[in-house]
Amino acid sequence: MATTLRLSRRDFMKVGLASVAIAAGLSKYGNYSVFNKVEASEVSKIKEGKVKLVKTVCTFCAVGCGILGKVKNGHLVGIEPWVDNPINAGKLCCKGASINHTITSPKRLRYPLIKRNGKWERISWDEALDIIARKMIEIRRKYGPDAVFFAGSAKVSNEVAYLMRKFMAFWGSNNIDHQARICHSTTVAGLGNTWGYGAMTNNFNDMRNAKCIIFFSNPAEAHPVSFYHIYEAKRRGAVLICCDPRFSRTAAVSDLYLQFRPGTDIALVWGICYEIIKNGWYDEEFIRNRTYGFERAKQIIMQYPPELVEDITGVPADKIRKAAYLLATNKPATLQYAMGGTQHEYGSQNIRAYAILQLLLGNAGKPGGGVNAFRGHDNVQGATDMCVLSHSLPSYYGLSEKAWRHWAKVWGVDYEWLKGRFTSKEMMEKPGFTMSRFACGVLAGSDAFPGCKDLTIDQPSNIKMIFMWGHSTPSLGDLRYVKKAFESVELLVFVDPFVESGAALADRPDGIILLPAATEWESSGSVTNSGRQVQWRNKVIEPLYESKDDLWILLSLVKALDKYDAGLYAKFTKNFGGKPPEEITPEEVLDKEISVGCRAIGLVGWKSWRLKRQQEYDYTFSKEDCQAKSGPCKGEYWGLPWPCWNERHPGTPILYRNDIPVWEGGHDFRVKWGTTAPDGESLVAANGHDQMPGWTTNIETDYSEWLDKNMVPSGRGRARFYAWNMKDPVPVHREPIYSPRLDLVDKYPTYEDSVYWQHGKYHYRVPILAKTLQIAWKRYNLCQCFPLIWTSGRQVEHQGGGAATRSNRILAELQPEMYVEINPEDAEARGIRDGDMVVVLSPRGLEYGASPAKVVCRARVTNAVPKGVVFMPFHWGGYFEGKSYLNRFPVIADMDTRPFVAGDSANIANSPGWDPETQMQNTKTGICEVVKLSEYKPPEGLEDYFKNVKRLRQRG
Amino acid sequence: MYKFVIDIHSNLCIKCKGCEAICKNYNDVPEGVFRIKVITINEGKPGQLNVPMPCMHCNDPPCMKVCPMNAIYKRSDGIVLVNKDKCIGCGYCSYACPFGAPQFEGSGAFGTKGKMDKCTFCVQPYKQKDENGNIIEREPRPMCAIVCPTGTLLGGDAAKISQELRERISGYAARGMLENLFMV
Repeated sequence: MATTLRLSRRDFMKVGLASVAIAAGLSKYGNYSVFNKVEASEVSKIKEGKVKLVKTVCTFCAVGCGILGKVKNGHLVGIEPWVDNPINAGKLCCKGASINHTITSPKRLRYPLIKRNGKWERISWDEALDIIARKMIEIRRKYGPDAVFFAGSAKVSNEVAYLMRKFMAFWGSNNIDHQARICHSTTVAGLGNTWGYGAMTNNFNDMRNAKCIIFFSNPAEAHPVSFYHIYEAKRRGAVLICCDPRFSRTAAVSDLYLQFRPGTDIALVWGICYEIIKNGWYDEEFIRNRTYGFERAKQIIMQYPPELVEDITGVPADKIRKAAYLLATNKPATLQYAMGGTQHEYGSQNIRAYAILQLLLGNAGKPGGGVNAFRGHDNVQGATDMCVLSHSLPSYYGLSEKAWRHWAKVWGVDYEWLKGRFTSKEMMEKPGFTMSRFACGVLAGSDAFPGCKDLTIDQPSNIKMIFMWGHSTPSLGDLRYVKKAFESVELLVFVDPFVESGAALADRPDGIILLPAATEWESSGSVTNSGRQVQWRNKVIEPLYESKDDLWILLSLVKALDKYDAGLYAKFTKNFGGKPPEEITPEEVLDKEISVGCRAIGLVGWKSWRLKRQQEYDYTFSKEDCQAKSGPCKGEYWGLPWPCWNERHPGTPILYRNDIPVWEGGHDFRVKWGTTAPDGESLVAANGHDQMPGWTTNIETDYSEWLDKNMVPSGRGRARFYAWNMKDPVPVHREPIYSPRLDLVDKYPTYEDSVYWQHGKYHYRVPILAKTLQIAWKRYNLCQCFPLIWTSGRQVEHQGGGAATRSNRILAELQPEMYVEINPEDAEARGIRDGDMVVVLSPRGLEYGASPAKVVCRARVTNAVPKGVVFMPFHWGGYFEGKSYLNRFPVIADMDTRPFVAGDSANIANSPGWDPETQMQNTKTGICEVVKLSEYKPPEGLEDYFKNVKRLRQRG
Repeated sequence: MYKFVIDIHSNLCIKCKGCEAICKNYNDVPEGVFRIKVITINEGKPGQLNVPMPCMHCNDPPCMKVCPMNAIYKRSDGIVLVNKDKCIGCGYCSYACPFGAPQFEGSGAFGTKGKMDKCTFCVQPYKQKDENGNIIEREPRPMCAIVCPTGTLLGGDAAKISQELRERISGYAARGMLENLFMV
């Protein structure tokens, strides 16, 4: 009993302290969990001790949650919620809440490894970099610079992402790409072609101003912390509408749920738009003053009455009417989407349809409105802005001569020298391979895999070497093809804190080098979240083991190349004084190059000192609108959301908002396609103006002259209902290539193959089939063999390819398994019980003469998927078509790199289909059959399908 | 008086498992033991409800009453704790608790149950003693409630929680949305 007494006395004192903290006016911390209020006093107490708290940013999704890393004697011992961060206010999902176990995971790759004679051997950094550099030079001399493919990353800081693109520019090839290609590239094309910029228009905090939120994806599982703001909106009376083929956790908490067939987004949105136009609920004034091409869009939309849409999508017409009514009567409404909208062969068109819905309602450019594209990785917005992409130079300048000359000026190198690095001027201006189809660049013309023999590519040589720098393999489509490509190149280099599953997937005895990169918390740099807000990510601890920070690795690689390619390092680091790799800081890269050159998205105001000052005065920022209400940052918006025109500009939290002065974050639709449309109509807004001459290439100006006149450097233009330069100027419903509704295929066919002809008959250097496949599909009636619709998505506990999360002991325990969700009726018809091992068989590979693809995993029988649809999470690796390859992961001495949990990869089975604007792969609408593993027999007689495709191809 | 309250009236929890992860992280809880767990009922159907379930720190804890070793005690601030030195791992508390809060490491019907462990309002980690053998007593700061993005989990002083719930309700009432509230 004495114990109890003692405890109570101590506790009494603690409670006393807590109330003092509250009385001292600290009650502003946090809203919901009552205990937030004690937080501040507690944090200051920890600070007094030996424990150091470091402000940093979560490394998983793109919400950009702040976390405090708890460091004791140089070791990361835990985390604390960062309650002053305006974005998440200390709120975390399971990934953020266990992040220190990812950073300090025993599964980390500890030192550079090389695979020789089937064995992993430890080598030194110098040796590894020298082998890579020598091989690169050898390949360059033998095959030319385009024989190297560089997969960059959305997990690195803006500075490293930027230097990756610069590196490949100096190397002389456009064969560089990263996750954004298979993530939100269609957002950039879709939104960019509607109103100028291809990014989330508002931000997470702003969603609390919405009166209605319509979801086209599943943020409850993919971006859980966004619900901190979404629920704030709900508390203030917002209606939530969820459109998703699967009854997700988002659907479970929404007021209205529309369950549609995968791949019919456009029809569904048009059904809603039809009702809005028919009832005159659209914003006429907004359309008249700020948009172009409404009448033409109306003609298309009016072809989709709700009854017809019900037939296409499966959503009852009454629910469509109800959704339209709710959207029209609860303004402003915001629209949210993520991978569910983008990863389709009609991805760009889906996004266009979403944007048009918001234009109709006049919700664009308003607090609580806009189109909110939730991005996937912590810095995928930043890496996209830095254009680690095969079709553009940093900041979306493209690959034109003008763009090259601009960047040559920023880099301080001669344009002619840069041109000389490439095979030719033509190759310099031609988009390179993408993440979706780079494997074709390796296998074209070889016998390694069926159908490669007569495959041709649009560059002089095949790819001979691949860098996978922080990119996962399980997220790539058609994995069997990728596996074969990995086995066919001369050298594979993986740079990752963990052993990326691709390194073990490739079944080869030699030719793989693994470099241990430091994790995000062991390096510093700026990261841009989905809402275009940039935050400085501090280094929490020194890199563990022999791992090195990405910036050092990249610069050291250039230095290693310099031995064989004299003068390269000096040219590459000219603006940083040619200092050695360890002395160049991310601050320099941001201040001296990124914020000087990246003008097309207005990064001029992004200076490292501003970001650090914001971090220091985090508590002055309001969680309501992200603006600092006092202190040295007064008036600034958190994260200086781009465009941030100069060092005095507060950032633009809401794109296209024209009712506030530009100096306070005002903006307008961009004048991007000239001032008059081809039909003679004006593209300048009523009372608008053209863009500032030379605003993207003049590296001297700070735009203040224009801002003083309340003019936007990118112009005050009109958003386009009708985008004449796109494959479909106004989106129309098209059936997926492998459609389960053969009766609709003729009325809503996919694209002709010729739509993909970008350079000659090639699209990003590879040939693409669409209509041919669909015709063959219909003739051969493969629906009989593959009656189920296949779709894929996220698990809340894992992210991306899962190398990091599956190596985290807490997350591995919370979600230890790969599964396929199947409806009880479908399961019953196939004799499948919950927990049975099943084979998911897909026609992938049939189109080029391979056998059908299969994935082996457990069945999860649930009502969440409707009858006829199956769902698979895509984070899994370690098994391939049912066979384990965990034995190929490096296990030596003190290091076991096999992840805690493993499973088969869903993307072995995705269906073909690529977006004609960006070559986005289709991982959301496939087709498959599920059979019990014990009853599985390899299917026969499907070879005819390929013959059919071949015949159709020959006929053209 | 410290309390957990789970606001299930407005169907908030999205099962992001932030609570489960931070609990394991902050308290060094071993595999297989869940001091808090999110339970889903009606999965995949309209009316699906996720409920995070920690120890409720009852006013009159049945676990304490049935413990033959008097290992379970209630502090004057309301937090129910177990003295692992006294616990014999019999599992009576587990029969008595209506919420399934008591946890036992290891598995099997008999013999491997280990000492009882449960939510401590973040006062004590899984290992109750530090390296010097002293009982650890931290500030009662329920990390699950602090990180919960949705505001489903409320942890802290009972009077303040009641205030928060009243504010939520009156917020709904003021907007004429009371019917929303009961549409679980």
